[in-house]
Amino acid sequence: MKILSGVVLVIALLAGALWWVADMQPAEPIEIDNPRVRLVPGGAPMAGYFTLTNHTDSPVRLVSAASEAFDHVMIHRTVVSADGNARMAHQDDGVLVGAGETVEFKPKGLHLMLMRAQRELEVGEAVEIVLGFEGLEPAERTVVFTVVPVTSS
Amino acid sequence: MKPVRLALTALMLLGLSACADQGWNGKSIEGLMPELEFELTAETGETVTESVFAGRPVAMYFGFTHCPDICPTTLARLVAAVRRLPEPLQEELQLAFVSVDPGRDGPQQLADYTDAFSERMLGLTGTQRQLKALTRRYRTTYGYEDERADGSYNVSHSSAIFVFDAAGEPQLMLLDSLGVAEIAADLEKLLAERAENADNA
Repeated sequence: MKILSGVVLVIALLAGALWWVADMQPAEPIEIDNPRVRLVPGGAPMAGYFTLTNHTDSPVRLVSAASEAFDHVMIHRTVVSADGNARMAHQDDGVLVGAGETVEFKPKGLHLMLMRAQRELEVGEAVEIVLGFEGLEPAERTVVFTVVPVTSS
Repeated sequence: MKPVRLALTALMLLGLSACADQGWNGKSIEGLMPELEFELTAETGETVTESVFAGRPVAMYFGFTHCPDICPTTLARLVAAVRRLPEPLQEELQLAFVSVDPGRDGPQQLADYTDAFSERMLGLTGTQRQLKALTRRYRTTYGYEDERADGSYNVSHSSAIFVFDAAGEPQLMLLDSLGVAEIAADLEKLLAERAENADNA
């Protein structure tokens, strides 16, 4: 009986310690959900979308994006003015994500503009895009995006 | 007898109020802008006028293919809305994508682009003079931003979809804030009214 309760105690302590460690140090300082590239035919640029969460206790800034699958990648925001005209605003200062905050790259808002695909892409394919950050170590993260149909959101 | 009369009056009032606010999700432009008229180059390479739509209602969007975000988003919503319509109405509506970027959007580029959304979407573009004539007619503008080092440039354009009836009369402006269900409701209402008028004729 004594041995059994000793074993239970040790297991409970170990589990507690593991939980504490996991809680102290999030597995990843930043989290990128649902990364996707919307396929556009005819060699026109495509948009990349994802949700970016900063789990650290200080701000991080997304400052660059690059991919071997594309000639050039830019960080853009679509802006619709009061008169209904739409334009794209280049995000010269990158995109700041505050401590614990989430920023969504989504249709008609922030997006990666992916210029000149270097090869023919297909729906369902995986494309690697390297995102560069300030305030994060290491500064670069390789994210696997899924190619989705142009008619998806 | 009295409750019946009350009910009838209530019904009439309901009917009247429904007429007063026309019940569109988009913005009604009926009678505010001139009928559809243009000369443009189609994705087939042919020069066409508004008669290319052969007397069918048209949903028209002004954009450009090097527009990765809002153009595909809006066109995809329009196509999704059309798919929600009853089958016979789907066949009736013509979709049109007018590129205000003729420098990059040749016929083949337009054909590839519009086919990705719907086989019922016709790509059109034209000279600056032709495009200005059409956009001015519907009180909208477009413009080009400075070229970047790599030669690419940005284009500003209207974010609304213009809907014309079978006679080419402007009916609705579907603003970019509308969702698929709202667009579908407006299109169904517009096309159903047309079917009703045809039956009465």
